[in-house]
Amino acid sequence: MARKRAKADTAGAPVTTVVVMCLYVAGKAPNSVKAIANLEAICRRHLKDGYKLEIVDVCEHPRRALADGVLVTPSLTKVSPAPGANVIGNLSDTSSVLAALGLPASEMQ
Amino acid sequence: MNPPPPPQVLSPSDQRAEAAFKNWVRRLVTGAAELRALEAGEIDAVMDPATGTAILLPEAQAALQGSSRLAMSALDALPGEVCVLDAAGTVVMTNRAWRAFVTAHAGAGLGVREGANFLEACRDASAPERVHAEAVAAGLRDVLAGVRKLFHCDYVRHSPGGDCAFGLTITGIAQAGEVHALVTRESVSERKRTGAARNSGRAKASRIAAVARSGTSNRLLAALPAREYERVLSGLEPVKLTYGEVLYEPGERMRHVYFPSDSLVSLLTVVEGHRALEVGLVGREGMVGSRLALGIAVSPVRALVQGSGTAVRMTAARFLQEFRRSPALQRALFHFTDALMLQVTQTAACNRFHVVEARLARWLLMTRERLPSGEFHLTHGFLADMLGVRRVGVTSAAGALQRQKLIRYQRGNITILDQQGLEAAACSCYRHVRIMGLETAT
Repeated sequence: MARKRAKADTAGAPVTTVVVMCLYVAGKAPNSVKAIANLEAICRRHLKDGYKLEIVDVCEHPRRALADGVLVTPSLTKVSPAPGANVIGNLSDTSSVLAALGLPASEMQ
Repeated sequence: MNPPPPPQVLSPSDQRAEAAFKNWVRRLVTGAAELRALEAGEIDAVMDPATGTAILLPEAQAALQGSSRLAMSALDALPGEVCVLDAAGTVVMTNRAWRAFVTAHAGAGLGVREGANFLEACRDASAPERVHAEAVAAGLRDVLAGVRKLFHCDYVRHSPGGDCAFGLTITGIAQAGEVHALVTRESVSERKRTGAARNSGRAKASRIAAVARSGTSNRLLAALPAREYERVLSGLEPVKLTYGEVLYEPGERMRHVYFPSDSLVSLLTVVEGHRALEVGLVGREGMVGSRLALGIAVSPVRALVQGSGTAVRMTAARFLQEFRRSPALQRALFHFTDALMLQVTQTAACNRFHVVEARLARWLLMTRERLPSGEFHLTHGFLADMLGVRRVGVTSAAGALQRQKLIRYQRGNITILDQQGLEAAACSCYRHVRIMGLETAT
């Protein structure tokens, strides 16, 4: 798998892969709130600081969601590193999120 | 970019409608993953490419309605009075305590009903409360414009049953690209009654005076200690000053002294056969008519309102009486008179030695300092009077400042775009008066 290398926050720290993601949600609707909480928990546990997450509220920015090809929310898109991936739903299934992000399910830190 | 359209809301009233709705959603959603998530109830909204909107699913709608009901109940449970204003200042939501106040004090003070406009209520407030209402309105305008996040003021409401002191806080809330406002109000008198310490009537009066003081933004008055301000307060009367209004003509007896809040008054020397020339500028930092304190009742200059706004005024006789009695007022006035003299002498030298463009920059900065906003309305003729030059001189100087992108000048409306750049373009007199003014103030 081709992985884009990026420097971590501080100079001199080991070089790690930064996963860039975009999560599309519908305001404070229940599945959207759950998806944010679930994804943040997964990121904290498996990615530490090695990720960038953008949360787009489709109620406020519907055109942005349409332009990005999003049809339903909540919807998580992995932007980089390639290959891109998509997960639909409230992200309560951790293993499918990890698989989409290209992280081994057994990777526990 | 256009503002996004609101999410489309469909009524999930009966089972059949919901089934039809879900079928329609299925037609929109074609992917297997989306369908699976939809069946599992994990989807909140579907994008409709035809209308460019997000459609909330019935379950999500119901949940959001439930959470907004919860928010309303929480607001109602608060003991203080709370209301929410939209970006135009219209009351869109109130809590139980606020509604109870409106019912109990029908039409009085700043008790504003849902659907009414808070700014208009401030404008229509009756005379004794107007000073505070105007300060509240100015604070609210700042919050809604995003200039400040929080505004707090204490004010007194006079009623036949006795004076009531209130603490009012306005907080900005970001809402769909606009700023809305949350207004909370609590009765200071109530707080005191329920508090353990029982204050004497004198201390209460002093407190009321202290809260009343924060209602006017005149710095000379604000510098007075509570007890002396309390005495001065009863002699003050709020007035609206309008652009172009003449408060005194040279040689005329000064019947009132004026303490500007957000208005601005120019002192002009009138020399026969010439245009009037500005020699001093008074805003919220001072007062107009300070010569009375020196024992002279006749104005040497024309006092002309050049920025509309509010002020409080006092009769000359009452002012002299207060001036004799109050050492703090004497000190505040000596400082102000000294600063004004400094301004006048520096202006005289400036008018003689400096080029029009630098003088205009200085004058705009001085005006800006004395007004709450960076925008003001001035005509060429007026500016020519202020600077003692012909109109054509003003046109070319304003044009030069505009070309450097320091100001914008359109049909007499001046906006300062670059404060630092304008300071660099101004003559040294601006910095000199400021530095000396600060020294005398300390």
